[in-house]
Amino acid sequence: MELLGNLGLGLGVALSLTNLFYCFLGALLGTLVGVIPGVGVLAAISMLFPLTYNLEPTTALIMLAGIWYGTTYGGSTASILLNIPGTPANAVTCLDGYPMARSGRGGVALFMTTVASFFGATFGIILLTLFTPIIAEYALRFGSAEYFALMLMGLVAASTISEGSAIKGLAMMTLGVIIGLVGLDSQTATARFTGGSLGLMEGVSLIALAMGVFGVAEIVMSVRRVKASDIDPESVKLKAIKPTSDDVRRSWFPMLRGSSMGSFFGTLPGTGPSIAAFLSYAIEKRLSKTPERFGKGAIEGIMAPEAANNAADQTAFIPTLSLGVPGSATMALMLGALMIHGIAPGPTLISDEPELFWGLIMSFWVGNVILLVLNIPLIGVWVRMLTIPYHLLYPSVLLFICIGAYSASFSPLNVWMVFAFGALGYAMRIFKFPGAPLLLGFVLGPLMEEHFRRAMLLGRGDFMTFFDRPLSAAIMSLTGMILLWSIWSSEGAKKRRTERANSM
Amino acid sequence: MKKFIAAALTALGLAMPAHAADFPTGPVTIVVPYSPSGNTDVFTRYLAPYLEAKWGQPVVVDNKPGGGSMIGTAHVAQAEPDGHTLLMTSSAFVTAPSIQPDLPFDSRTDLTPIINVGHVSFVLITNADSPYETLEQFIEASKASPKFAATAGLGTTTHFAMEKFIADSGANVDVVHFKGGGPAVVSILSNETDIYGSSISSAGKNLEAGKVRALAVLGNERIDVLPDVPAAAELGYTDLEIKQWLGVFAPGGTDMAIVEQVNADIKEALENQTFIDTVTPLEWTLNGNTTAEFKTQIDTELTKWQGIADAAGIKK
Repeated sequence: MELLGNLGLGLGVALSLTNLFYCFLGALLGTLVGVIPGVGVLAAISMLFPLTYNLEPTTALIMLAGIWYGTTYGGSTASILLNIPGTPANAVTCLDGYPMARSGRGGVALFMTTVASFFGATFGIILLTLFTPIIAEYALRFGSAEYFALMLMGLVAASTISEGSAIKGLAMMTLGVIIGLVGLDSQTATARFTGGSLGLMEGVSLIALAMGVFGVAEIVMSVRRVKASDIDPESVKLKAIKPTSDDVRRSWFPMLRGSSMGSFFGTLPGTGPSIAAFLSYAIEKRLSKTPERFGKGAIEGIMAPEAANNAADQTAFIPTLSLGVPGSATMALMLGALMIHGIAPGPTLISDEPELFWGLIMSFWVGNVILLVLNIPLIGVWVRMLTIPYHLLYPSVLLFICIGAYSASFSPLNVWMVFAFGALGYAMRIFKFPGAPLLLGFVLGPLMEEHFRRAMLLGRGDFMTFFDRPLSAAIMSLTGMILLWSIWSSEGAKKRRTERANSM
Repeated sequence: MKKFIAAALTALGLAMPAHAADFPTGPVTIVVPYSPSGNTDVFTRYLAPYLEAKWGQPVVVDNKPGGGSMIGTAHVAQAEPDGHTLLMTSSAFVTAPSIQPDLPFDSRTDLTPIINVGHVSFVLITNADSPYETLEQFIEASKASPKFAATAGLGTTTHFAMEKFIADSGANVDVVHFKGGGPAVVSILSNETDIYGSSISSAGKNLEAGKVRALAVLGNERIDVLPDVPAAAELGYTDLEIKQWLGVFAPGGTDMAIVEQVNADIKEALENQTFIDTVTPLEWTLNGNTTAEFKTQIDTELTKWQGIADAAGIKK
């Protein structure tokens, strides 16, 4: 019954008038920041960080956290309506969300992703409430070998993420890995592909890549091709958000699987929402009996990743609060907000600061309910965005992309990179090269390399280190099974196709 | 309004050349070569209002991150040496040049050291379940079977700390780089590595909770927050003083009168009790030395770290 007492304590803190206000403010700002392409959560939180100096630490954290998970809620909006990811974690939502919007189901897509977000977040919060100390201990068992095995599994599982030619998909994945290599090598400090530029030493920013390849390319492609009048006026009415019973039926399991994947990756420092979203999309496509629907507006393709990234948003607090280890730059900011007030998160945080810990967790519930209430009526507003003439909409989106790219690291170089990647993305569209594997290779490649090199160092150069450690061995064998299964199933699919052709 | 006019005059290039007597004549920009919210940024943003009040001019904190702090540093090295562009940076100033070739500036001449404002101490930590109760036991054990040391990244102060420790103690230890202090502490918690020279702030809660054990403070004296942990000097390592410090610089060739004035004005802020109370929770120990002392410190450290980098074969 101690848990109930703690929840009560937390709820009391979360529902105080001040905290409620800042929670609302955070969620609202987060939604806005998420909807505006390019302005990422890190930039938003950095800008608002000084505000928190004068707040109580719990209140400060409640507001910052609201921005953090609010962004992921809002981020799917631009992905679905404009094919421009609001945040990197929503990039994969473009793949099926945008086709849905094009076929007049934008309202449904927005409504369903809001539901998926709420579902995923709730799932994450339940884990956070019940198992924080246990999960934190468990996450410690993941060393470099395990991370590498996990990334490898992700890459194998995701190798079918794109439509069309497998060779083109593979080529894009490789290009992504190569772009990810730019910068200082982590173990020897050798500069790679920097061309002597100090700015490139930090590597290419994910925001610049995602904005360029998806956003700028989309805008360039649309010039003189689409008109606002292409959109069916009926599809932007509020009643058009009602999903069909088929949509609902198809959504349950993807949401559940997405939430589990997201919760898992959220707890591992260094992975987080983007990877969770990508991989859960890949898993859905692999499990689907009709994978050919993906990329053309399959509801599963938006439900799983949106549940996953929101679940990961919540569980990312587990390592941050209980180990004092931020999983990402944004989480490091949240730690900073606490440190300023003299609170150092760590194993004793829950017992030392029960009001802060439980108050924060309960504020997540409150914040997610606020987001749900806030987002559903807003869908009508967002969808109407599609009716804005493109000659007004797109220049302003470009402007926001520039601001976002700049503010990601306060570097004009990023803006140039957005345009370079925009050109690349445009060329890719013309020659029908898929964008998703490029992004996946970029995200996973450098992480794989980092963990592989470290695991080899720690294993003193012995490859068996990946199979000697039980957890890593288990993940490796699972990867092997996925690989075998995918070969088998693609052979089976081939056979079925020939049979069908023969019987005709 | 006064501020506005001064700002406008400066903007139009009408301001008179600066003399110490009338410094500053316009807004002062403090460049922080890190992203907003990092340790350096937060410290600078706390300090800025004190200087603003003292100088009667806006003090702007400008983040120019990248290149392991070298981008912002290069920016200030090339700025007008009139005291209106200053740099607040960390000890990366002395460590980064020894692993980054071809920097577009000379660390010794293109920047004028003004003042060392504070530092964070480092402690050597191991997992609390490890058998090593003292540093001596750890060094002995490493000779029997080689151990791993974590760092917060290649070329960071923690990396140099570990290399210096290995060189001075003769321990048989290989360094493994992690991305940041957090993952390095986790590698100690998860027994992936055996020893890490952590800043007090990263180790803090885990020390308190008894998850990690501190073997020595990397310095010549014990520190207040860990009174029972011996200083490296007590254990016979008299040259193992390694700190992450923060310091202010002006572009090379800045009028020494201005440099001295900035030094004095910052020192005044460092002695302000309200300021001390705000930054103490961040684990900073405030310093505030003279310009000459800081200059000597920089020159010594640049030589020292380059020597360690060469001896340890860290790639240049």
